[in-house]
Amino acid sequence: MANKTKNKPKNKTKAKTKTKISKPQHVVNLDSVFNPKSIAIIGASREPGKIGNVIVKNFVDGSYKGKVFPINPKADQILGLKCYPDISAIKEKVDSVIIATPAQTVPAILKSCGQKGVKSAVIITGGFSEVGNTQGEEEIRQIAKEYSIAVIGPNCMGCMNLEAGVDSVFLPTYKLGRPVEGEIGFITQSGAVGGCVLDLAARAGIGMSKFVSYGNAAVIDETSLLEYFEHDKSTKVIVMYLEGVQRGRDFLEVAKRVTKTKPVIVLKAGVGKKGSEAAKSHTAALAGSAEAYHAAFKQAKIIEARTLTELFDFSKIFYQPYPCGNRVAVITNGGGLGVLSADSAEEYGLQLTELSDETKKALREKLPSYANVRNPLDLIGDANAERYELAIDLVSRDRNVDILAVIVLFQTASLDSKVVDVIVKQSDKREKPMVVISVGGEYTDLHKRILDGYKIPTYHSPSSAMKAIRRMVDYSDSIGTRSKDARCKYIMPPAPHTKEE
Amino acid sequence: MDLIKTLALLKKYKIPLAEMTVARSKSEAVSAAKKLGYPVALKIYSKEILHKTDIGGVKLKLQDAAQVGAAYDEIMQAVKGKSVEGVLVQKMAAKGLELIIGGKIDAQFGPLVLFGLGGIYVEVLRDVSLRICPITEDDAREMVSEIKGRALLDGARGRKPVDKLALQKMLVNVSKMLYNEKIKELDFNPVIAYEKGCMAVDVRIID
Repeated sequence: MANKTKNKPKNKTKAKTKTKISKPQHVVNLDSVFNPKSIAIIGASREPGKIGNVIVKNFVDGSYKGKVFPINPKADQILGLKCYPDISAIKEKVDSVIIATPAQTVPAILKSCGQKGVKSAVIITGGFSEVGNTQGEEEIRQIAKEYSIAVIGPNCMGCMNLEAGVDSVFLPTYKLGRPVEGEIGFITQSGAVGGCVLDLAARAGIGMSKFVSYGNAAVIDETSLLEYFEHDKSTKVIVMYLEGVQRGRDFLEVAKRVTKTKPVIVLKAGVGKKGSEAAKSHTAALAGSAEAYHAAFKQAKIIEARTLTELFDFSKIFYQPYPCGNRVAVITNGGGLGVLSADSAEEYGLQLTELSDETKKALREKLPSYANVRNPLDLIGDANAERYELAIDLVSRDRNVDILAVIVLFQTASLDSKVVDVIVKQSDKREKPMVVISVGGEYTDLHKRILDGYKIPTYHSPSSAMKAIRRMVDYSDSIGTRSKDARCKYIMPPAPHTKEE
Repeated sequence: MDLIKTLALLKKYKIPLAEMTVARSKSEAVSAAKKLGYPVALKIYSKEILHKTDIGGVKLKLQDAAQVGAAYDEIMQAVKGKSVEGVLVQKMAAKGLELIIGGKIDAQFGPLVLFGLGGIYVEVLRDVSLRICPITEDDAREMVSEIKGRALLDGARGRKPVDKLALQKMLVNVSKMLYNEKIKELDFNPVIAYEKGCMAVDVRIID
């Protein structure tokens, strides 16, 4: 609760002056959803267990530094805060509101917010187009347009700015974990999926910058949000869960632009109809909406995940520096996992690099005589943290290596938590991407969480690691890392990539 | 879309199509065949008929005037009762790699262009790649290298590699046409690719 975010208001003004030059208007107003100086919660409740209570509690218990105004005509105080009967009763300026009142009351409330000069609204309330109430949703759209309100929802699960303690997610923190502050911006159509991802990210130690569940997208849709995250300085990686895209061509154009500066990872559910056999032409029979989505994602250099697991696997690798090529060096304390990694590397069109003679010589001098000096580099089952440190240091400096995959089997007697320190220290050099592959139970999971917390992505299998590496290699290629990044000058030019099998 | 308009469009967008002549009678068909040079193909020319092969409206590899005449009669017998404009006479295309290039309008993204292996592979393997129009040269290159059967383009089993640049150019041009002309559905099936160049042998545009 205490000592942070003193730079928040500064950020806000900075963003504001900049937007006048380059950002579209709806993106400007959208900023108040994530960085409000003051916020009103309409439908605030005294009763624990009610959505309106959970949201107030999030703001009271969290690190939010702005003003909070609960609104409920029947209460004087909620969780120690003065309560107001309606928005017009607040004398001070209100930047943003969260609305969690019954559907039929929402349009009138939104209008009063517009009259008050509120810039944005997060409408949690459901019962609109998703149940056929298109009229209510249309009213929201009209009011939002009239008063230039950036509306998120209706029918959404809320938004978060982890940095500023903004949290309108209506699931209690003791049930749904909140991720630590990080650099992944997450945009989700579905609240349910969003909730699961938050909880899993929190558990896995993966940090997030901002989270938005946008529900029915009556006003602000996925394309607007993508544009917002494009300009958001604290977001380095954009992750999206989509069930559809409202403005296909706009989305494509925006995404093409965004992926030049930030990786965008998308999981598209309900991929839609396959091409239909009944079509008049062969083309129509082959190209259904599912195929069109895949095509658009490819064209925009979007990284497509096919499962929630892949969404995590692909997202967290982008915390690492981008690779200059596709040559992987594998370091392991178990031969079998090394072989599996070599197989997976080949399957995903990665090159299992040949270590340079220099590196091999140094390794032979320093490693025990029974270690197998080649790639995969087998440090043998009695490897300890020191041996890992030595090996990672030498291999990461090898000019034939673009990426390090470090297999750590925590089950061995000689290995303890020290190896985590070693890996974190080596990764801090941030010259080459490094991933950790660890297969195991509780003890292993504990250490993986710590590593993920330090932005070193961990994987439970060689194939999931190699697949994620391949996605990062492709993205890195598409933005021209090899020719642009100074790091890559000191690395030998790699061979051309082969296709994924 | 009728043939005159189709041919004009293809010309406008520099899309190569195998040479063809319209013949409105048996004698016109025979003299057109002679002019084009044997062997030739005869195809029914009718707005009413979408799937020409299915109803016996296509005769291939005709070697002389007698075969052309007989084929003409057979086609006319097969399409009896339908309104027909005549037949198309085409010189048989030399053997090459059969591919498909097509397009349609997607409800979400608008016009898209398709590339893939042609002939029987289209339907059985569905080995195709797609992009939203208009496409860049990079997109075209990706489309060509993305299909699983790409080894066939590179000349598998001792064959010469086909002209990928020509295919990419055709894809870019087709995508321009789809984008500008708002064509509902389009099939170039097959497109035949050679060591040098490529051309559409059959075209169907639904506007």
